[in-house]
Amino acid sequence: MIGKVQELAKQYLTSGKVGAIFGLRENNGHIAPHIFKEVEELDSLVISPKYPLFYTCRPSKKNIPRLLQEKYPEIKVGVVAKGCDERALIELAKRDQVDIKNIEILGVACTKEEAVECKCSKPYPYNLLIGERVEGVSEDKDAEDLLKKGLPERLAFWQYQLSKCIKCYGCRNACPLCFCKDCALEQELWSKRGELPPEIPVFHFIRFYHLADRCIECGECEKACPMDIPLLTISKQVRKDVKELFDYEAGLDVGQESPLLTTLDETPMGETISDGV
Amino acid sequence: MKEFTPKIIGFCCNWCAYAGADLAGVSRLQMPPDFRMIRVMCSGTIDPLFVMEAFQKGADGVFIGGCHIGDCHYQSGNHRTKKRVAILKRILSYLGINPRRVRLEWVSAAEGQKFAQVVTDFIVEIKKLGPSPLRRLDV
Repeated sequence: MIGKVQELAKQYLTSGKVGAIFGLRENNGHIAPHIFKEVEELDSLVISPKYPLFYTCRPSKKNIPRLLQEKYPEIKVGVVAKGCDERALIELAKRDQVDIKNIEILGVACTKEEAVECKCSKPYPYNLLIGERVEGVSEDKDAEDLLKKGLPERLAFWQYQLSKCIKCYGCRNACPLCFCKDCALEQELWSKRGELPPEIPVFHFIRFYHLADRCIECGECEKACPMDIPLLTISKQVRKDVKELFDYEAGLDVGQESPLLTTLDETPMGETISDGV
Repeated sequence: MKEFTPKIIGFCCNWCAYAGADLAGVSRLQMPPDFRMIRVMCSGTIDPLFVMEAFQKGADGVFIGGCHIGDCHYQSGNHRTKKRVAILKRILSYLGINPRRVRLEWVSAAEGQKFAQVVTDFIVEIKKLGPSPLRRLDV
């Protein structure tokens, strides 16, 4: 399948449809994001669900297509995107982090095995060009286990899980939607830098809350975590809640505004909101 | 055994809930003394992180008071509060903290009676729930 992707990318580049291709490159066994400018280079283009494509580059806290667009505003960039990459792109465009008008999406579907490994519920992009559309994983075992527990058990579970944290900030660095210049995780007010263990549960709550209307379920946070904290469990659940409460899904439509940035408008929520217990 | 006296932090908006509390005081309505109030300009300034910080520092319950929907001094501040608190409560429940420890109420400047009522109710509820499970972490 990767052959087909490379072929299409080459076709895009030679026909002048795009000025550059952005994707993952394998170089001496290492996989990293790369901007392909030459057709020959595209032989090293790979697709891997294990590596983040849109992580934000420090210290500018901008993603790679944005940095490219800032330098060359006229260039059209082709992005080799899996389902989650496309959702990230849409969400980034919604928040003015990338100019989607100058982006051509080469949508690639993931296989069933990859979807199972990522616990992904939507392993295909809307703009599907290559690959077969397979259904994602609908059940979420981690969340089911969590919801089966009572409140004291949940607290004990998270106190153990979160106490493993070594404050490497990997979850934030790998997250495509963590692009704030002043990150709350670095503010002394909420969390003392370099002190362990982290403030439980405030430190992790910051990301759970800030990503409530942004999380696109790519799972990069969980994959990046060296201590195997099941971070995606809560993020996924909150994403579900946001859908239920506000009928909003991140990464679906560039024109759809986040409910946390709008008023209650003509259809206010009921006075009593269930607590989810 | 000594009776449990909860610590409750109240964030009240300057224009409605705080004025309502003032009216309750002027009207000499009796309220339990377990309530510590912080005045904010609008309930929309209350970041859910403030609430978490309150729990972290040993609060047993957090009360948020704002204007009724449509009466916000800043037009739509309380719309946002409502949405934020809804999400906050869900995350609290996943983390294992009872979301009933957070209460959002709309109290206008003329509702001294209501203010005394909701605060008393809230304190009774927190007394029933007992000390916050996060309390021992900090003390």
